[in-house]
Amino acid sequence: MADKDKRRPGLAPPSMPEGKATKSDSDREFLSQAGVGELLRGAILKMVEARSDDPIGFLADHFCNLSSMTESGSAGGCDAEPLSNAPLSAGAQEQQHLNRALWHLRLAHHSQRSAFSNNVRVAYDLLNLTGPQRHPGEAPEGPDGSCTESPTGGGGGVRGGLYSQTLECLCSEGGVPASTSAPLLRRLHCQDHEAVPYDIFRHGVLTCAVFSDYIRQAQRLYAEVCCPDNGPASRALCLAVLGTLKEALETSQGCDANCCVNANNSCLEANVKAIRYLKASANISPCKLAQAMSGAQLRGPGGDMDAKEFENAAAELFITRVKVVS
Amino acid sequence: MSTIRVRKMSGSTEEVQAVSCSIKPPVYLQIGDTRTDAAHSGICVVDVSLPFGKPVSIEEISFKNYYTASVSVRLLRRGPGQEAPAKWCTALRDLSLMNNPHTEGGSQDFYSIHRTQMMEEPDHVVSVRLILRQPSSAWLTFSLEDIKIFPHTEPDPEKEVSDWLSDLTLGDQHPDLEGLPDPQTVSSSIQQMWALTEVMQTNQTTACIGRFDVDGCYDINLLSLT
Repeated sequence: MADKDKRRPGLAPPSMPEGKATKSDSDREFLSQAGVGELLRGAILKMVEARSDDPIGFLADHFCNLSSMTESGSAGGCDAEPLSNAPLSAGAQEQQHLNRALWHLRLAHHSQRSAFSNNVRVAYDLLNLTGPQRHPGEAPEGPDGSCTESPTGGGGGVRGGLYSQTLECLCSEGGVPASTSAPLLRRLHCQDHEAVPYDIFRHGVLTCAVFSDYIRQAQRLYAEVCCPDNGPASRALCLAVLGTLKEALETSQGCDANCCVNANNSCLEANVKAIRYLKASANISPCKLAQAMSGAQLRGPGGDMDAKEFENAAAELFITRVKVVS
Repeated sequence: MSTIRVRKMSGSTEEVQAVSCSIKPPVYLQIGDTRTDAAHSGICVVDVSLPFGKPVSIEEISFKNYYTASVSVRLLRRGPGQEAPAKWCTALRDLSLMNNPHTEGGSQDFYSIHRTQMMEEPDHVVSVRLILRQPSSAWLTFSLEDIKIFPHTEPDPEKEVSDWLSDLTLGDQHPDLEGLPDPQTVSSSIQQMWALTEVMQTNQTTACIGRFDVDGCYDINLLSLT
Protein backbone atom coordinates (compact mmCIF):
# COMPACT_ATOMS: atom_id res chain seq x y z
CA MET A 1 0.00 0.00 0.00
CA ALA A 2 1.91 2.95 -1.23
CA ASP A 3 -0.81 5.05 0.35
CA LYS A 4 0.69 4.36 3.68
CA ASP A 5 3.90 5.93 2.58
CA LYS A 6 2.17 8.74 0.74
CA ARG A 7 0.08 9.68 3.71
CA ARG A 8 3.09 10.32 5.83
CA PRO A 9 4.08 13.69 4.29
CA GLY A 10 0.55 14.91 4.92
CA LEU A 11 0.87 14.24 8.61
CA ALA A 12 4.20 16.01 8.80
CA PRO A 13 3.85 19.46 7.18
CA PRO A 14 7.11 21.24 6.40
CA SER A 15 6.53 23.83 9.10
CA MET A 16 6.75 21.23 11.89
CA PRO A 17 9.62 21.57 14.32
CA GLU A 18 12.66 19.63 13.29
CA GLY A 19 12.41 16.99 15.96
CA LYS A 20 9.09 15.67 14.76
CA ALA A 21 10.05 15.83 11.08
CA THR A 22 13.01 13.54 11.55
CA LYS A 23 10.86 11.11 13.49
CA SER A 24 8.34 10.79 10.66
CA ASP A 25 11.17 10.55 8.15
CA SER A 26 12.73 7.68 9.99
CA ASP A 27 9.34 6.05 10.33
CA ARG A 28 8.89 6.26 6.60
CA GLU A 29 12.36 4.89 6.02
CA PHE A 30 11.73 2.08 8.42
CA LEU A 31 8.53 1.08 6.65
CA SER A 32 10.07 1.15 3.21
CA GLN A 33 13.09 -0.83 4.41
CA ALA A 34 10.89 -3.47 5.94
CA GLY A 35 8.96 -3.74 2.68
CA VAL A 36 5.69 -3.34 4.52
CA GLY A 37 4.06 -1.78 1.48
CA GLU A 38 4.66 -4.86 -0.61
CA LEU A 39 3.58 -7.19 2.17
CA LEU A 40 0.28 -5.47 2.69
CA ARG A 41 -0.34 -5.06 -1.00
CA GLY A 42 0.20 -8.79 -1.52
CA ALA A 43 -2.10 -9.63 1.37
CA ILE A 44 -4.89 -7.43 0.09
CA LEU A 45 -4.62 -8.79 -3.45
CA LYS A 46 -4.86 -12.34 -2.16
CA MET A 47 -7.85 -11.41 -0.10
CA VAL A 48 -9.64 -9.84 -3.03
CA GLU A 49 -9.02 -13.00 -5.06
CA ALA A 50 -10.22 -15.36 -2.38
CA ARG A 51 -13.14 -13.34 -1.00
CA SER A 52 -13.27 -15.51 2.05
CA ASP A 53 -16.02 -15.17 4.65
CA ASP A 54 -13.56 -14.76 7.46
CA PRO A 55 -11.17 -11.94 6.56
CA ILE A 56 -9.26 -11.97 9.84
CA GLY A 57 -8.77 -15.72 9.79
CA PHE A 58 -7.73 -15.49 6.17
CA LEU A 59 -5.15 -12.83 6.86
CA ALA A 60 -3.87 -14.80 9.85
CA ASP A 61 -3.43 -17.90 7.69
CA HIS A 62 -1.82 -15.90 4.95
CA PHE A 63 0.85 -14.36 7.16
CA CYS A 64 1.37 -17.70 8.88
CA ASN A 65 2.12 -19.33 5.57
CA LEU A 66 4.40 -16.51 4.54
CA SER A 67 6.39 -16.69 7.72
CA SER A 68 6.89 -20.42 7.57
CA MET A 69 7.87 -20.14 3.92
CA THR A 70 10.52 -17.52 4.53
CA GLU A 71 12.11 -19.47 7.39
CA SER A 72 13.96 -22.04 5.36
CA GLY A 73 11.56 -24.85 6.00
CA SER A 74 12.95 -26.07 9.30
CA ALA A 75 10.99 -24.47 12.14
CA GLY A 76 7.33 -25.25 12.51
CA GLY A 77 4.53 -23.15 11.02
CA CYS A 78 1.26 -22.28 12.61
CA ASP A 79 -0.01 -25.80 12.33
CA ALA A 80 2.74 -27.36 14.43
CA GLU A 81 4.02 -26.26 17.82
CA PRO A 82 4.65 -22.53 17.54
CA LEU A 83 7.37 -22.61 20.14
CA SER A 84 9.17 -25.67 18.94
CA ASN A 85 12.44 -24.99 17.18
CA ALA A 86 13.34 -28.56 16.42
CA PRO A 87 13.36 -29.40 12.71
CA LEU A 88 10.31 -31.40 11.71
CA SER A 89 10.57 -34.90 10.33
CA ALA A 90 10.28 -35.29 6.59
CA GLY A 91 6.80 -36.72 6.92
CA ALA A 92 5.48 -33.94 9.09
CA GLN A 93 7.07 -31.36 6.85
CA GLU A 94 5.38 -32.94 3.89
CA GLN A 95 2.04 -32.83 5.65
CA GLN A 96 2.60 -29.18 6.36
CA HIS A 97 3.32 -28.49 2.71
CA LEU A 98 0.22 -30.43 1.76
CA ASN A 99 -1.95 -28.41 4.12
CA ARG A 100 -0.57 -25.19 2.81
CA ALA A 101 -1.03 -26.31 -0.79
CA LEU A 102 -4.63 -27.24 -0.06
CA TRP A 103 -5.18 -23.87 1.56
CA HIS A 104 -4.00 -22.20 -1.64
CA LEU A 105 -6.18 -24.40 -3.79
CA ARG A 106 -9.21 -23.48 -1.75
CA LEU A 107 -8.79 -19.78 -2.35
CA ALA A 108 -10.39 -19.42 -5.74
CA HIS A 109 -13.20 -21.29 -7.46
CA HIS A 110 -12.20 -23.11 -10.64
CA SER A 111 -14.41 -20.80 -12.68
CA GLN A 112 -12.12 -17.88 -11.83
CA ARG A 113 -9.63 -19.06 -14.39
CA SER A 114 -6.57 -16.89 -13.83
CA ALA A 115 -6.82 -16.82 -10.05
CA PHE A 116 -7.31 -20.57 -9.96
CA SER A 117 -4.35 -21.18 -12.27
CA ASN A 118 -2.12 -18.97 -10.15
CA ASN A 119 -3.10 -20.85 -7.03
CA VAL A 120 -2.48 -24.20 -8.69
CA ARG A 121 0.95 -22.97 -9.70
CA VAL A 122 1.75 -21.92 -6.13
CA ALA A 123 0.48 -25.22 -4.73
CA TYR A 124 2.51 -27.17 -7.27
CA ASP A 125 5.67 -25.29 -6.40
CA LEU A 126 5.05 -25.93 -2.72
CA LEU A 127 4.64 -29.64 -3.20
CA ASN A 128 7.48 -29.76 -5.66
CA LEU A 129 9.91 -28.81 -2.92
CA THR A 130 9.43 -32.05 -1.11
CA GLY A 131 10.51 -34.24 -4.00
CA PRO A 132 13.96 -35.77 -4.02
CA GLN A 133 16.59 -33.37 -5.25
CA ARG A 134 17.33 -33.41 -8.92
CA HIS A 135 20.65 -32.99 -10.53
CA PRO A 136 20.49 -29.40 -11.76
CA GLY A 137 20.42 -29.16 -15.50
CA GLU A 138 19.60 -32.79 -16.11
CA ALA A 139 16.85 -33.63 -18.53
CA PRO A 140 13.70 -35.10 -17.01
CA GLU A 141 12.93 -38.76 -17.38
CA GLY A 142 9.44 -38.28 -18.69
CA PRO A 143 8.81 -38.03 -22.44
CA ASP A 144 7.25 -34.60 -22.15
CA GLY A 145 9.16 -31.44 -21.53
CA SER A 146 6.97 -29.94 -18.86
CA CYS A 147 9.12 -31.25 -16.05
CA THR A 148 11.75 -28.67 -16.89
CA GLU A 149 9.44 -25.92 -15.71
CA SER A 150 10.87 -25.85 -12.21
CA PRO A 151 14.04 -23.77 -12.34
CA THR A 152 14.14 -23.35 -8.60
CA GLY A 153 13.05 -25.75 -5.91
CA GLY A 154 14.00 -29.32 -5.61
CA GLY A 155 11.97 -31.96 -7.35
CA GLY A 156 11.32 -32.43 -11.04
CA GLY A 157 7.72 -33.14 -10.24
CA VAL A 158 5.37 -33.74 -7.40
CA ARG A 159 5.66 -37.14 -5.79
CA GLY A 160 2.87 -39.39 -6.97
CA GLY A 161 1.72 -40.24 -3.46
CA LEU A 162 1.50 -36.61 -2.44
CA TYR A 163 -0.43 -35.79 -5.59
CA SER A 164 -2.94 -38.56 -4.97
CA GLN A 165 -3.37 -37.37 -1.40
CA THR A 166 -4.05 -33.84 -2.62
CA LEU A 167 -6.77 -35.08 -4.92
CA GLU A 168 -8.39 -37.14 -2.17
CA CYS A 169 -8.48 -34.17 0.17
CA LEU A 170 -9.94 -31.95 -2.54
CA CYS A 171 -12.74 -34.41 -3.25
CA SER A 172 -13.67 -34.92 0.37
CA GLU A 173 -13.55 -31.21 1.13
CA GLY A 174 -15.79 -30.66 -1.86
CA GLY A 175 -18.45 -32.76 -0.22
CA VAL A 176 -18.13 -35.82 -2.42
CA PRO A 177 -18.61 -39.10 -0.54
CA ALA A 178 -15.60 -41.39 -0.72
CA SER A 179 -17.48 -44.14 -2.54
CA THR A 180 -18.50 -41.75 -5.30
CA SER A 181 -15.07 -40.27 -5.78
CA ALA A 182 -13.22 -43.58 -5.63
CA PRO A 183 -13.62 -44.47 -9.35
CA LEU A 184 -12.51 -40.97 -10.30
CA LEU A 185 -9.44 -41.14 -8.12
CA ARG A 186 -8.55 -44.50 -9.55
CA ARG A 187 -8.33 -42.85 -12.96
CA LEU A 188 -6.33 -39.88 -11.82
CA HIS A 189 -3.98 -41.19 -9.18
CA CYS A 190 -0.27 -41.79 -9.54
CA GLN A 191 2.10 -44.24 -7.92
CA ASP A 192 4.47 -43.00 -5.29
CA HIS A 193 7.55 -43.48 -7.43
CA GLU A 194 6.11 -41.45 -10.27
CA ALA A 195 6.86 -37.78 -10.80
CA VAL A 196 3.84 -35.69 -11.64
CA PRO A 197 4.48 -32.80 -14.02
CA TYR A 198 2.62 -29.53 -13.77
CA ASP A 199 0.12 -30.21 -16.55
CA ILE A 200 -1.10 -33.42 -14.98
CA PHE A 201 -1.20 -31.84 -11.55
CA ARG A 202 -3.29 -28.99 -12.85
CA HIS A 203 -5.62 -31.27 -14.74
CA GLY A 204 -6.12 -33.53 -11.72
CA VAL A 205 -6.84 -30.65 -9.39
CA LEU A 206 -9.22 -29.01 -11.85
CA THR A 207 -11.03 -32.29 -12.46
CA CYS A 208 -11.59 -32.84 -8.75
CA ALA A 209 -12.82 -29.29 -8.27
CA VAL A 210 -15.18 -29.61 -11.23
CA PHE A 211 -16.31 -33.03 -10.04
CA SER A 212 -17.32 -31.68 -6.63
CA ASP A 213 -19.47 -29.06 -8.33
CA TYR A 214 -20.87 -31.70 -10.63
CA ILE A 215 -21.89 -34.00 -7.80
CA ARG A 216 -23.51 -31.14 -5.89
CA GLN A 217 -25.45 -30.28 -9.01
CA ALA A 218 -26.47 -33.91 -9.45
CA GLN A 219 -27.80 -33.96 -5.90
CA ARG A 220 -29.78 -30.82 -6.60
CA LEU A 221 -31.09 -32.37 -9.79
CA TYR A 222 -32.31 -35.42 -7.93
CA ALA A 223 -34.19 -33.18 -5.52
CA GLU A 224 -35.79 -31.40 -8.48
CA VAL A 225 -36.80 -34.65 -10.14
CA CYS A 226 -38.39 -35.77 -6.88
CA CYS A 227 -40.12 -32.48 -6.52
CA PRO A 228 -43.77 -32.95 -7.39
CA ASP A 229 -44.23 -35.87 -4.97
CA ASN A 230 -42.06 -36.08 -1.93
CA GLY A 231 -40.91 -39.65 -2.13
CA PRO A 232 -38.05 -41.10 -4.13
CA ALA A 233 -38.10 -40.27 -7.82
CA SER A 234 -39.44 -42.68 -10.39
CA ARG A 235 -36.77 -44.75 -12.08
CA ALA A 236 -38.11 -44.03 -15.54
CA LEU A 237 -37.91 -40.30 -14.99
CA CYS A 238 -34.38 -40.44 -13.62
CA LEU A 239 -33.19 -42.57 -16.49
CA ALA A 240 -34.84 -40.27 -19.02
CA VAL A 241 -33.25 -37.18 -17.52
CA LEU A 242 -29.80 -38.72 -17.32
CA GLY A 243 -30.32 -40.06 -20.82
CA THR A 244 -30.66 -36.56 -22.22
CA LEU A 245 -27.43 -35.56 -20.52
CA LYS A 246 -25.69 -38.59 -21.94
CA GLU A 247 -26.93 -37.78 -25.43
CA ALA A 248 -25.77 -34.20 -25.17
CA LEU A 249 -22.32 -35.29 -24.04
CA GLU A 250 -22.05 -37.79 -26.86
CA THR A 251 -23.13 -35.23 -29.44
CA SER A 252 -20.76 -32.53 -28.35
CA GLN A 253 -17.81 -34.85 -28.31
CA GLY A 254 -18.77 -36.49 -31.59
CA CYS A 255 -15.41 -37.23 -33.14
CA ASP A 256 -13.36 -36.06 -30.20
CA ALA A 257 -10.35 -37.97 -31.37
CA ASN A 258 -9.56 -35.03 -33.65
CA CYS A 259 -7.91 -32.94 -30.99
CA CYS A 260 -5.16 -31.87 -33.31
CA VAL A 261 -6.11 -28.92 -35.47
CA ASN A 262 -5.15 -29.02 -39.10
CA ALA A 263 -3.79 -25.61 -39.91
CA ASN A 264 -5.70 -25.40 -43.17
CA ASN A 265 -8.96 -26.45 -41.68
CA SER A 266 -8.87 -24.70 -38.35
CA CYS A 267 -11.74 -22.47 -39.37
CA LEU A 268 -13.73 -25.46 -40.55
CA GLU A 269 -12.92 -27.31 -37.32
CA ALA A 270 -14.15 -24.41 -35.27
CA ASN A 271 -17.38 -24.32 -37.27
CA VAL A 272 -17.94 -28.03 -36.92
CA LYS A 273 -17.28 -27.83 -33.20
CA ALA A 274 -19.65 -24.93 -32.80
CA ILE A 275 -22.39 -26.78 -34.65
CA ARG A 276 -21.87 -29.82 -32.46
CA TYR A 277 -22.19 -27.71 -29.33
CA LEU A 278 -25.37 -26.10 -30.62
CA LYS A 279 -26.80 -29.48 -31.47
CA ALA A 280 -25.93 -30.86 -28.06
CA SER A 281 -27.47 -27.92 -26.27
CA ALA A 282 -30.62 -28.27 -28.37
CA ASN A 283 -30.96 -31.74 -26.88
CA ILE A 284 -31.18 -30.40 -23.37
CA SER A 285 -33.49 -27.48 -23.97
CA PRO A 286 -36.54 -27.32 -21.68
CA CYS A 287 -38.99 -28.49 -24.32
CA LYS A 288 -36.84 -31.49 -25.22
CA LEU A 289 -36.65 -32.40 -21.58
CA ALA A 290 -40.38 -31.99 -21.18
CA GLN A 291 -40.87 -34.39 -24.07
CA ALA A 292 -38.38 -36.87 -22.63
CA MET A 293 -39.99 -36.74 -19.22
CA SER A 294 -43.55 -37.14 -20.39
CA GLY A 295 -42.44 -39.96 -22.69
CA ALA A 296 -40.72 -41.67 -19.77
CA GLN A 297 -43.78 -41.53 -17.66
CA LEU A 298 -45.71 -43.47 -20.25
CA ARG A 299 -43.15 -45.98 -21.39
CA GLY A 300 -40.41 -46.27 -18.79
CA PRO A 301 -39.59 -49.09 -16.39
CA GLY A 302 -41.38 -49.08 -13.09
CA GLY A 303 -40.01 -48.64 -9.63
CA ASP A 304 -38.05 -45.91 -7.91
CA MET A 305 -34.49 -44.79 -7.87
CA ASP A 306 -32.94 -43.57 -4.65
CA ALA A 307 -30.56 -40.67 -4.28
CA LYS A 308 -27.43 -42.75 -4.00
CA GLU A 309 -28.07 -44.68 -7.17
CA PHE A 310 -28.86 -41.49 -9.06
CA GLU A 311 -25.69 -39.89 -7.84
CA ASN A 312 -23.63 -42.89 -8.88
CA ALA A 313 -25.23 -42.97 -12.32
CA ALA A 314 -24.54 -39.28 -12.83
CA ALA A 315 -20.99 -39.67 -11.55
CA GLU A 316 -20.44 -42.49 -13.99
CA LEU A 317 -21.34 -40.23 -16.93
CA PHE A 318 -18.63 -37.84 -15.81
CA ILE A 319 -15.99 -40.36 -14.82
CA THR A 320 -16.09 -42.38 -18.03
CA ARG A 321 -14.98 -39.23 -19.82
CA VAL A 322 -11.96 -38.67 -17.62
CA LYS A 323 -8.78 -39.81 -19.27
CA VAL A 324 -6.73 -42.24 -17.26
CA VAL A 325 -3.45 -40.69 -16.20
CA SER A 326 -0.44 -42.60 -17.37
CA MET B 1 -13.06 -6.57 -66.85
CA SER B 2 -16.63 -5.42 -67.01
CA THR B 3 -19.45 -6.85 -64.99
CA ILE B 4 -23.18 -6.82 -64.85
CA ARG B 5 -25.41 -7.45 -61.87
CA VAL B 6 -27.50 -10.52 -62.35
CA ARG B 7 -30.68 -10.94 -60.43
CA LYS B 8 -30.92 -14.64 -59.78
CA MET B 9 -33.94 -16.80 -59.29
CA SER B 10 -33.41 -16.87 -55.59
CA GLY B 11 -33.49 -13.12 -55.47
CA SER B 12 -29.90 -12.53 -54.56
CA THR B 13 -27.75 -10.35 -56.75
CA GLU B 14 -24.22 -11.18 -57.65
CA GLU B 15 -21.60 -9.68 -59.86
CA VAL B 16 -20.94 -11.80 -62.92
CA GLN B 17 -17.86 -11.37 -65.02
CA ALA B 18 -18.09 -11.37 -68.79
CA VAL B 19 -16.53 -14.32 -70.47
CA SER B 20 -13.31 -13.43 -72.18
CA CYS B 21 -13.83 -14.09 -75.84
CA SER B 22 -12.15 -13.13 -79.04
CA ILE B 23 -14.17 -10.97 -81.36
CA LYS B 24 -13.12 -11.21 -84.93
CA PRO B 25 -13.19 -8.13 -87.12
CA PRO B 26 -16.49 -7.69 -88.93
CA VAL B 27 -16.75 -9.20 -92.37
CA TYR B 28 -18.85 -7.26 -94.79
CA LEU B 29 -20.54 -9.51 -97.24
CA GLN B 30 -20.41 -8.46 -100.84
CA ILE B 31 -21.90 -9.63 -104.02
CA GLY B 32 -19.64 -10.04 -106.93
CA ASP B 33 -16.00 -9.29 -107.18
CA THR B 34 -14.65 -7.79 -103.98
CA ARG B 35 -11.98 -5.76 -105.66
CA THR B 36 -14.03 -3.99 -108.28
CA ASP B 37 -17.29 -3.59 -106.47
CA ALA B 38 -16.60 -1.66 -103.30
CA ALA B 39 -20.20 -1.12 -102.30
CA HIS B 40 -21.33 -2.93 -99.21
CA SER B 41 -24.36 -5.12 -99.41
CA GLY B 42 -25.62 -4.02 -96.05
CA ILE B 43 -24.88 -7.28 -94.29
CA CYS B 44 -22.03 -7.82 -91.93
CA VAL B 45 -21.00 -10.85 -89.96
CA VAL B 46 -19.22 -10.71 -86.65
CA ASP B 47 -17.91 -13.94 -85.21
CA VAL B 48 -17.33 -14.22 -81.50
CA SER B 49 -15.49 -17.33 -80.41
CA LEU B 50 -15.46 -18.41 -76.85
CA PRO B 51 -12.43 -19.86 -75.05
CA PHE B 52 -11.38 -23.12 -76.63
CA GLY B 53 -12.45 -26.25 -74.85
CA LYS B 54 -14.80 -24.46 -72.48
CA PRO B 55 -18.33 -24.31 -73.78
CA VAL B 56 -20.36 -21.64 -72.08
CA SER B 57 -23.98 -21.36 -71.10
CA ILE B 58 -24.93 -17.84 -72.00
CA GLU B 59 -26.95 -15.67 -69.70
CA GLU B 60 -26.82 -12.48 -71.69
CA ILE B 61 -25.16 -10.79 -74.65
CA SER B 62 -24.70 -7.07 -74.41
CA PHE B 63 -23.35 -4.57 -76.91
CA LYS B 64 -23.43 -1.00 -78.07
CA ASN B 65 -24.99 -0.38 -81.38
CA TYR B 66 -23.36 1.63 -84.14
CA TYR B 67 -25.89 2.23 -86.87
CA THR B 68 -26.93 -1.39 -87.24
CA ALA B 69 -30.58 -1.75 -88.17
CA SER B 70 -31.13 -5.33 -87.05
CA VAL B 71 -29.19 -8.26 -85.75
CA SER B 72 -29.55 -12.01 -85.92
CA VAL B 73 -27.81 -14.33 -83.52
CA ARG B 74 -26.61 -17.80 -84.45
CA LEU B 75 -25.01 -20.17 -81.96
CA LEU B 76 -22.62 -23.02 -82.52
CA ARG B 77 -23.44 -25.52 -79.84
CA ARG B 78 -21.57 -28.66 -79.02
CA GLY B 79 -23.39 -31.33 -77.03
CA PRO B 80 -22.00 -32.30 -73.64
CA GLY B 81 -20.28 -35.47 -74.92
CA GLN B 82 -16.82 -35.19 -76.45
CA GLU B 83 -17.94 -36.94 -79.59
CA ALA B 84 -21.02 -34.85 -80.29
CA PRO B 85 -20.68 -32.71 -83.37
CA ALA B 86 -21.11 -28.99 -83.12
CA LYS B 87 -24.24 -27.58 -84.70
CA TRP B 88 -25.32 -24.14 -85.66
CA CYS B 89 -28.73 -22.89 -84.67
CA THR B 90 -30.54 -19.58 -84.88
CA ALA B 91 -31.16 -18.11 -81.47
CA LEU B 92 -32.61 -14.82 -82.61
CA ARG B 93 -33.83 -13.72 -85.99
CA ASP B 94 -33.75 -10.06 -87.03
CA LEU B 95 -33.97 -8.26 -83.75
CA SER B 96 -34.65 -4.68 -84.74
CA LEU B 97 -32.24 -2.17 -83.24
CA MET B 98 -33.29 0.91 -85.14
CA ASN B 99 -36.93 1.82 -85.69
CA ASN B 100 -36.14 3.35 -89.03
CA PRO B 101 -32.90 2.34 -90.65
CA HIS B 102 -32.55 5.72 -92.31
CA THR B 103 -32.84 7.80 -89.15
CA GLU B 104 -30.82 8.14 -86.02
CA GLY B 105 -33.22 6.45 -83.59
CA GLY B 106 -31.51 3.60 -81.77
CA SER B 107 -28.36 4.00 -83.77
CA GLN B 108 -26.04 4.29 -80.82
CA ASP B 109 -28.05 2.66 -78.05
CA PHE B 110 -26.94 -0.03 -75.62
CA TYR B 111 -28.67 -3.36 -75.98
CA SER B 112 -28.64 -6.63 -74.19
CA ILE B 113 -30.11 -9.93 -75.28
CA HIS B 114 -31.13 -12.25 -72.47
CA ARG B 115 -31.27 -16.01 -72.78
CA THR B 116 -35.00 -15.93 -72.30
CA GLN B 117 -35.34 -13.94 -75.51
CA MET B 118 -33.56 -16.62 -77.48
CA MET B 119 -35.39 -19.29 -79.38
CA GLU B 120 -32.88 -21.96 -78.46
CA GLU B 121 -31.27 -22.68 -75.10
CA PRO B 122 -27.83 -21.08 -75.28
CA ASP B 123 -26.05 -23.88 -73.45
CA HIS B 124 -22.71 -25.49 -74.35
CA VAL B 125 -22.06 -22.68 -76.81
CA VAL B 126 -18.70 -22.73 -78.54
CA SER B 127 -19.09 -19.82 -80.90
CA VAL B 128 -21.53 -16.99 -81.53
CA ARG B 129 -22.18 -15.41 -84.90
CA LEU B 130 -23.88 -12.02 -85.09
CA ILE B 131 -25.34 -11.11 -88.45
CA LEU B 132 -25.82 -7.39 -88.77
CA ARG B 133 -28.04 -5.78 -91.37
CA GLN B 134 -28.28 -2.18 -92.43
CA PRO B 135 -30.35 -1.72 -95.59
CA SER B 136 -30.10 2.05 -95.62
CA SER B 137 -27.47 3.65 -97.78
CA ALA B 138 -27.34 6.63 -95.46
CA TRP B 139 -24.69 5.09 -93.32
CA LEU B 140 -21.30 4.26 -94.68
CA THR B 141 -20.41 1.73 -92.03
CA PHE B 142 -22.23 -0.05 -89.29
CA SER B 143 -21.18 -2.40 -86.57
CA LEU B 144 -21.60 -3.41 -82.96
CA GLU B 145 -19.21 -2.25 -80.32
CA ASP B 146 -18.26 -3.54 -76.95
CA ILE B 147 -19.72 -6.99 -77.37
CA LYS B 148 -19.80 -8.88 -74.11
CA ILE B 149 -21.07 -12.33 -73.29
CA PHE B 150 -22.09 -13.18 -69.75
CA PRO B 151 -22.21 -16.75 -68.55
CA HIS B 152 -25.12 -18.35 -66.85
CA THR B 153 -24.46 -19.33 -63.25
CA GLU B 154 -26.45 -21.93 -61.42
CA PRO B 155 -28.24 -20.53 -58.41
CA ASP B 156 -27.08 -21.99 -55.06
CA PRO B 157 -29.20 -24.85 -53.91
CA GLU B 158 -31.43 -23.98 -51.02
CA LYS B 159 -29.53 -24.59 -47.82
CA GLU B 160 -31.21 -27.21 -45.80
CA VAL B 161 -32.24 -26.33 -42.33
CA SER B 162 -30.91 -28.97 -39.99
CA ASP B 163 -33.37 -31.24 -38.32
CA TRP B 164 -32.46 -30.18 -34.87
CA LEU B 165 -32.88 -26.49 -35.71
CA SER B 166 -36.36 -27.03 -37.04
CA ASP B 167 -37.14 -29.13 -33.99
CA LEU B 168 -36.38 -26.15 -31.81
CA THR B 169 -38.81 -23.93 -33.65
CA LEU B 170 -41.56 -26.50 -33.27
CA GLY B 171 -41.19 -26.30 -29.52
CA ASP B 172 -44.65 -24.92 -29.08
CA GLN B 173 -46.13 -28.33 -28.56
CA HIS B 174 -46.90 -28.56 -24.88
CA PRO B 175 -46.77 -32.14 -23.69
CA ASP B 176 -48.83 -33.03 -20.69
CA LEU B 177 -46.79 -32.03 -17.68
CA GLU B 178 -49.06 -33.25 -14.91
CA GLY B 179 -47.05 -34.44 -11.96
CA LEU B 180 -43.74 -33.91 -13.70
CA PRO B 181 -40.93 -31.72 -12.44
CA ASP B 182 -40.54 -28.28 -13.95
CA PRO B 183 -38.62 -28.69 -17.23
CA GLN B 184 -36.97 -25.29 -16.89
CA THR B 185 -35.22 -26.09 -13.61
CA VAL B 186 -34.34 -29.60 -14.68
CA SER B 187 -32.98 -28.30 -17.97
CA SER B 188 -30.91 -25.67 -16.21
CA SER B 189 -29.38 -28.27 -13.89
CA ILE B 190 -28.61 -30.60 -16.76
CA GLN B 191 -27.04 -27.76 -18.71
CA GLN B 192 -24.76 -26.95 -15.80
CA MET B 193 -23.72 -30.57 -15.46
CA TRP B 194 -23.06 -30.74 -19.17
CA ALA B 195 -20.97 -27.57 -19.05
CA LEU B 196 -18.93 -28.86 -16.12
CA THR B 197 -18.18 -32.08 -17.96
CA GLU B 198 -17.15 -30.12 -21.03
CA VAL B 199 -14.81 -27.99 -18.93
CA MET B 200 -13.16 -31.11 -17.64
CA GLN B 201 -12.83 -32.59 -21.10
CA THR B 202 -11.38 -29.51 -22.75
CA ASN B 203 -8.76 -29.24 -20.04
CA GLN B 204 -7.40 -32.70 -20.55
CA THR B 205 -3.73 -32.86 -21.11
CA THR B 206 -1.57 -35.16 -23.18
CA ALA B 207 1.33 -34.91 -20.77
CA CYS B 208 2.77 -38.09 -19.29
CA ILE B 209 4.03 -38.89 -15.86
CA GLY B 210 7.73 -38.87 -15.39
CA ARG B 211 10.03 -40.82 -13.16
CA PHE B 212 12.31 -39.51 -10.50
CA ASP B 213 15.90 -39.60 -11.43
CA VAL B 214 18.88 -39.17 -9.17
CA ASP B 215 22.33 -38.83 -10.67
CA GLY B 216 21.17 -40.60 -13.78
CA CYS B 217 19.71 -43.64 -12.08
CA TYR B 218 16.66 -44.59 -10.02
CA ASP B 219 16.67 -43.76 -6.36
CA ILE B 220 16.46 -47.13 -4.67
CA ASN B 221 13.97 -45.81 -2.13
CA LEU B 222 11.52 -44.89 -4.81
CA LEU B 223 11.38 -48.18 -6.59
CA SER B 224 8.05 -49.82 -6.04
CA LEU B 225 8.16 -53.42 -4.94
CA THR B 226 4.87 -54.31 -6.59
